[in-house]
Amino acid sequence: MEDLEGKKILVIQTHGVDTPTRTYSPVYYAIAAAAMEMDVMIWFTMNGTNQLRKGEAEKIELKPGSGVTLKTLLDQALDAGVKLSVCQQSMDLWDMKPEDLIDGVKILGATSIIDLALDADHVMYF
Amino acid sequence: MSDVGIVRGCKIPKDLYYSVDDHTWVRVNDDGTVTVGMTDVAQNLAGPVLHAKVKKVGLTRAKGKPIGTVESAKWVGPIKTPVSGEIVEVNEKVTEDPQILNRDPYGEGWVVKMKPTNWDEEVKELVTGEEAIQKYLEKVEREDIKACEHIE
Repeated sequence: MEDLEGKKILVIQTHGVDTPTRTYSPVYYAIAAAAMEMDVMIWFTMNGTNQLRKGEAEKIELKPGSGVTLKTLLDQALDAGVKLSVCQQSMDLWDMKPEDLIDGVKILGATSIIDLALDADHVMYF
Repeated sequence: MSDVGIVRGCKIPKDLYYSVDDHTWVRVNDDGTVTVGMTDVAQNLAGPVLHAKVKKVGLTRAKGKPIGTVESAKWVGPIKTPVSGEIVEVNEKVTEDPQILNRDPYGEGWVVKMKPTNWDEEVKELVTGEEAIQKYLEKVEREDIKACEHIE
């Protein structure tokens, strides 16, 4: 296993609660990268934004009966040190206010994401 | 076995040292090295392990840094070393047959051997014997950790 400590990964998630099966893997990869000591951020934009509304991620179960929901994974991501951020402009699209977001999410604008993309060692786009 | 405590069905051998919060154990070897692995509680929380990666021999790790990663269908995370030191041996079987971590977490499923660099100090933060069982009991009750299941 290579020492990958400090490498920067940016995960861009554009899928949300309307397509539940497309929501888990990006979060899971982000947690894996954090476990490998990388510096990881998930950027939620477009439809990806709506899973950050309080109460939504709990409704999406990884596998029926598993008891593991998308909220479980988002909490694991935060525990693992993954930074969660959301596109301010797409929050407007979903009529979401800062107080509607789950705890631990940072609101960023479009210029910030361009900076982050240029600064990352790798961008994973979903 | 009287030398193994049972906490909600999870085995906690009394002769090992534990970092209860990180779910890892340490065995002190005669040659001055220590063996590190993940506990029965950890394997149970993770579920059947699908993939595991272990860091390389020669790498020096500070306490709390990962010595490997473990993935199951529902969880992925680091195995954090409870002691600082140099990795002197890795268990290749863990990579080849990751469910060895589920089947035999304290035996065949050991993860690395390390040459500790600050053992005398760091051992004070670990627990062993009856104290370890008590601490684990408190943790599983506080966090309502499910009872251990064992796969063959």
